[in-house]
Amino acid sequence: MNHQKKIIFLLFIALLLLPVISACSTNTKSGSQKTAQSTNDPVKQGTTKLKQLNNKLQAALKKNDTAAIKKYGKQINTQWLSYENGVRDRFPLQYAKIERYQQPIYAQSNLSNPDVAQMKENSEALTEQLDDLLTAKETKAKPSKQMDQAVNDYLKYADEQIDILVKTTKPFVKAVEDGDIEKAKKLYTQPRIYYERAEPIAESFGDLDPAIDARINDVDDPSKWTGFHEIERALWEKNSLKGQKKYAQKLMADVLSLQKEAKSFKLTPKAMVAGAMELLEEAATTKITGEEERYSHTDLLDLQANVDGSEAVYQAAIPALNEGHKDLAAEIDKQFQAFDKQMLKYKKSETEYENYTKLSKNEIRKISNELSKLSKLMAQTAKIF
Amino acid sequence: MDKEELGTSEQKKGYSRREMLKMTALAGGGIALGASGLGTALELLGKDHSRDAEKQSMVPFFGNHQAGITTTHQSYGYLAAFDIDPSIHDVAKIMALFISWTRLAATLTQGKREANSSNKELPPIDTNEARDLGAANLTITFGLGHSFFIKNGTDRFGIAAKIPKQLTPMPRIAHETLDPGISNGDLCVQVCADVQQVAFHALRNLIKEALGTANIRWMESGFLNAAKGKTPRNLFGFKDGTANVTDPEEQKKVIWTANNEPAWMRGGTYLGYRKIKMMIETWDRDAYSDQEHVFGRKKDSGAAFGRTHEHEPVMLSKQPANSHVGLAHRTGQKIYRRAYSYTNGIQPSTGNLDAGLLFISYQNKPQESFIPMLRVLGKSDALNEYTDHVATGLFAIPSGIKKNEYFAQHLFE
Repeated sequence: MNHQKKIIFLLFIALLLLPVISACSTNTKSGSQKTAQSTNDPVKQGTTKLKQLNNKLQAALKKNDTAAIKKYGKQINTQWLSYENGVRDRFPLQYAKIERYQQPIYAQSNLSNPDVAQMKENSEALTEQLDDLLTAKETKAKPSKQMDQAVNDYLKYADEQIDILVKTTKPFVKAVEDGDIEKAKKLYTQPRIYYERAEPIAESFGDLDPAIDARINDVDDPSKWTGFHEIERALWEKNSLKGQKKYAQKLMADVLSLQKEAKSFKLTPKAMVAGAMELLEEAATTKITGEEERYSHTDLLDLQANVDGSEAVYQAAIPALNEGHKDLAAEIDKQFQAFDKQMLKYKKSETEYENYTKLSKNEIRKISNELSKLSKLMAQTAKIF
Repeated sequence: MDKEELGTSEQKKGYSRREMLKMTALAGGGIALGASGLGTALELLGKDHSRDAEKQSMVPFFGNHQAGITTTHQSYGYLAAFDIDPSIHDVAKIMALFISWTRLAATLTQGKREANSSNKELPPIDTNEARDLGAANLTITFGLGHSFFIKNGTDRFGIAAKIPKQLTPMPRIAHETLDPGISNGDLCVQVCADVQQVAFHALRNLIKEALGTANIRWMESGFLNAAKGKTPRNLFGFKDGTANVTDPEEQKKVIWTANNEPAWMRGGTYLGYRKIKMMIETWDRDAYSDQEHVFGRKKDSGAAFGRTHEHEPVMLSKQPANSHVGLAHRTGQKIYRRAYSYTNGIQPSTGNLDAGLLFISYQNKPQESFIPMLRVLGKSDALNEYTDHVATGLFAIPSGIKKNEYFAQHLFE
């Protein structure tokens, strides 16, 4: 027993010291200003290989060779996973940018009909980011600056999403105004993706979020109900766009106001992390239950968009997480992958997932489980404060 | 030198202890690494609380047998099953969970709560609803299902050789309408207390802690009260548990496992579980005398037919054909019952009550007692007209957890 006690005591001491030990090792690294130039540097080696695969992908895209496109899209992913931890540790800023282009390439390569134009764009952007990585300096900003940088990176992401929201809302609104039900149904999901990704920003402006995104049970007076879901009901439940013109116009105006407000929006790091949690909560409460898109049943698309939005926060926070919480960053990263993998089964195209009502309870519970695991880990990102 | 000791134990087990503890810290998300957290953990593993336990309605957590089995029946019980997350292939992660669960159970059963982090941006560690409610005789009992060892025919964690001798999947029994979603499971946890809020709080925090390593599969809650010194009654209005053995020597024969089991399982037991739906309305319209015939006991006194007192031995010659008690006694086997009643609103299609019994029994040889009894009763029990078995489970309950150890430690080490 005595021997056992001693071991347990030592283990606890080891536990206590762990953060200190890992903090030391990161500190020693932060002094140097290396690049990944030397030939046997794993980041250099990994990136060179990744570039070669990306070139092959581009050739396949040019020839429209679906089999090769899918093959290289998947190989790029495997190659990236094989050395991404090293990149995340040493080049967190570049890491987030590469993920942004690499992930959609992988997602497309899993579809039966990949979107070639979109893949070309992402593949070219990926080349640029990989070149940037090869010359990037391994520098570490001071913690306070790191947080500012994280917020700026995230706001840039959110702005981009809101810009695309505006761009994709326009044709949708036009179809509604024209009374073209089929076209409007087809275009409905696009703006939803970008809205759901950037929702925490919209929620910061008092009336805008409810005006754009309220569900019928969110309002006390249904005659004052406006936004996407009002039109969603007209499209899928009423099958008529009669009287929808004014709602379409108001939606456009509200989305434009959101864009304007977002440009001058200021965010604290704590609010940014809280926003990521809000997105996951939204996903776990209204999307996973099929309440959000109760007429169109496109909930899975919103669900993935919420998770994408929170992933952007995580990526922006990686430099801060790297200071003493690398294990957590690695676990979160793994869990985002596990979640995406679960969702890929139901992805049909960039703008279409399986109809929510087609999933069995068991399938939904599996997604819910991955989402809960993700939420539990993401809540721990507050360790950076 | 101590370092070397650690080193060898790491090598021997093929995983790093340090890694494992690091994971515990992560998985727990909760271990307060501050001085107070460490103090609590060490104190819990080392200090003896048994002296003032009774005074404060506390049941000791550490001991030769797990608590919550022969412990005086508390008023509220939860039974929950968990499945190991499909992403888990490394047994070290399961050990890390069992360490966290042991720490949490040892804390909560002694009326303590885990401290929150000083970083207020993190979620709270304890959920707080039982803050001022003390221990309320809380017990937490852990078990392992057959699928924990073998799933789809494979030895999933390399420990199938150490599977308890009597642990099998539950066989098919006549007269059952099982819902697989609320049956079986890789792990089970029984949580009982005299205050429902205390019991729920404990289970909720165990679920929160486990997520990602083991995920909740199903959860049932029940209640059962008895006047002091009297046998409790179930929703049929009859006494439940009259035949339970109370003498420690007898309990050894009926409940606790012996040397024929793998070392880590000795001094343990098996939890047999059936969720038994009762056709309450039909029963309530049945004649009083028929109800007694169905059971084979007098409703008020609990005495077997031909007897006047509850604890007089059953006279088989006086038992009506297919009476519940008669059939059970003819098997010649004993089990230790520790059931809870449940209610869950009404059944929408009929307006009848959704209510019944969470039948839980403990026995050292379920293949010779629990399962044969079920077989006989399933075929012929007169009570079957008023019941339907809707869920099932059989779990190995390892021996008690000793101070400085964690749940199922000797299964792994």
